[in-house]
Amino acid sequence: MRYHVTLRSRTYIIDVAGGSVTVDGETLEAHAAAIPGTPLLHLLLGKDSWTVACQQLDARRWALGAVGERVEIEVQDDRSKQIEALTGQGRKVAAGGVVKAPMPGLVVRVEVTQGEVVEVGKGLVVVEAMKMENELRATHQGVVEQIHVKAGDRVEKGAALVTLSAQPSQPSG
Amino acid sequence: MKRVLVANRGEIAVRVIRACHEEGLEAVAVYSEPDRLALHVRHADAAVLLGPAPSTESYLDIRKLIAAAKDTGCQAVHPGYGFLSERAAFAEACKDAGLIFVGPPATAIRAMGDKTEARRRMQAAGVPVVPGTTTLLRDPVEARKEAKRLGYPVLLKAAAGGGGKGMRQVANDADVEGAFQAARREAQKAFGDGSIYVEKYLERPRHIEIQILADHRGRVVALGERECSIQRRHQKLIEESPSVAVSPALRRRLSEAATAAAGAVGYVSAGTIEFLLTPTGEFYFLEMNTRIQVEHPVTELVYGVDLVREQLRIAGGQPMRVHGASGPGGQLHPRGHAIECRITAEDPFNDFLPATGVLQYLRVPSGPGIRWDAGIEAGNDVTLFYDPLLAKLIAWGETRENAIQRMRRALSELVIVGLPTSQPFHLRVMDDVEFLKGEIDIKYLERAGRRVLAAPPRPGLERALAVAAAMVADEQRGRTVGPSDGRTAPGLSPWIVESRRLGLRDDLE
Repeated sequence: MRYHVTLRSRTYIIDVAGGSVTVDGETLEAHAAAIPGTPLLHLLLGKDSWTVACQQLDARRWALGAVGERVEIEVQDDRSKQIEALTGQGRKVAAGGVVKAPMPGLVVRVEVTQGEVVEVGKGLVVVEAMKMENELRATHQGVVEQIHVKAGDRVEKGAALVTLSAQPSQPSG
Repeated sequence: MKRVLVANRGEIAVRVIRACHEEGLEAVAVYSEPDRLALHVRHADAAVLLGPAPSTESYLDIRKLIAAAKDTGCQAVHPGYGFLSERAAFAEACKDAGLIFVGPPATAIRAMGDKTEARRRMQAAGVPVVPGTTTLLRDPVEARKEAKRLGYPVLLKAAAGGGGKGMRQVANDADVEGAFQAARREAQKAFGDGSIYVEKYLERPRHIEIQILADHRGRVVALGERECSIQRRHQKLIEESPSVAVSPALRRRLSEAATAAAGAVGYVSAGTIEFLLTPTGEFYFLEMNTRIQVEHPVTELVYGVDLVREQLRIAGGQPMRVHGASGPGGQLHPRGHAIECRITAEDPFNDFLPATGVLQYLRVPSGPGIRWDAGIEAGNDVTLFYDPLLAKLIAWGETRENAIQRMRRALSELVIVGLPTSQPFHLRVMDDVEFLKGEIDIKYLERAGRRVLAAPPRPGLERALAVAAAMVADEQRGRTVGPSDGRTAPGLSPWIVESRRLGLRDDLE
């Protein structure tokens, strides 16, 4: 089976077959064995030895680690990729303009009001986590369309905080 | 002294419990509801539930802590760092309850805890201080006036502060108001005291601190310096001892200033005097931390002293066991070099935002010259209630170069499964050209952070991980891993079974 493996914005095309893999056209001997009682996998790739720590994040995403590094990896098999291409389905890109909480925390204050025009870098919401205040700033120019939280709210990671209009403000005529 | 209450959690609680056991003392842990299975609870001889997760209802509740100590027959209380360690009121409450506070007298905590009072005292003792106010600022108007006098940039700082909380750098008049309010709010929340003062902001200084130890016999010794310039938002990430910037002559001058500072407040126990060292070699008193510090192990490794055991001995009225120096200001000499990396639950590739999750698996590095001081083990849940520090990895070597090589090796051995941590960041710093040359100051990370994180991992790693991911995904499609692995049944390998087991266990807890 062929897999499309994406990590740190690079995609590898990997064919897995029996005791070998073909990575971007190069075929290598590959043997993976689980280490019992651990989430570790030992990989012999050619003669290179790697101990890989595995954590599954969702149906097609893993966090894999080795020699002190940790990388989040998305894997898609060729068949489902083709089906998605045919049906036009895929992972939906997050709606532009929604500023989300990057971590769980407590909303300390909201620094904008609805309808306010914000420039890049303008502080929007201050979220406290682990006793530090983190200010979330606008990454693009826009108008504050909606404010989803208020001071004192507890938010989960990924919670919508503020929606900015995708369109930059129009100069008044 | 037979039994000690350890009024803390995490790695420092474990550290103190270990020291108690080595000193032949029993240790009593305290814990909040989510810490029921925490490592410190399991290490202790007895444990007392304080209350729910919020610190104010558990680790910061003086009344509950004193009651726990009395109920379990403790004679002493060790506060660790953070929480109540620098609250004079806690030291006093211990004393009033007939308990020994393992730390300095409340008067010394109070004098040094009030940063403006400390600055006045240090000036009087002839210790150089950073130019700024020695009184509190009433409002933003006064802040602006003082800032103008000192010249921008300036730092607004919490008088009760520490650890970068309640601190704001200000570049011009217009930003004073906002920064003042933010600093005040943060200080109020973190320390229960919103008092603010202002200091001149020094350009690119190093953070150099001197460890001191003082006993009831009037002996004060300085145990050299720690270089703690690698900081992010005033939180230290990597510390080492000795510093490449400190010559024996400078070490002597710093040590004299540090012992004078300790003497000026009648200090007893372990303490740290923090200085800023400018590129031209001037140093200024920053503050004194009247407690054991996170980074104390690097000093222990190069000076051969167990600081926490010394704290316990001194608290029990015994003389310190530090040899080789005599009298106030006496100097000891470092042997080799030690580096500490703070392994925190923060994602360096996502702006160091706090990460949470269950620690599913942990493999701790070992071998020559490696020390691991942790507050967590596999199975522990990392939450947002407390400090993100998971563990400290410390490496010792004959030279700085050897210590760095060891740290790199140990960081490569460390395996943490379950949540992102600062581990890959540390690994990259160990390879960074400026760090290797020792060209660091408190602006190092602002300058080098992006470059350090963008550095490529070792050759072949990403390809190997990509292959591993494809093989794991392939296995999940119902195939076997590997061509001739007899133990691996089609469909469900031991690895899958185990990972599911680990996943299930989280749900059950």
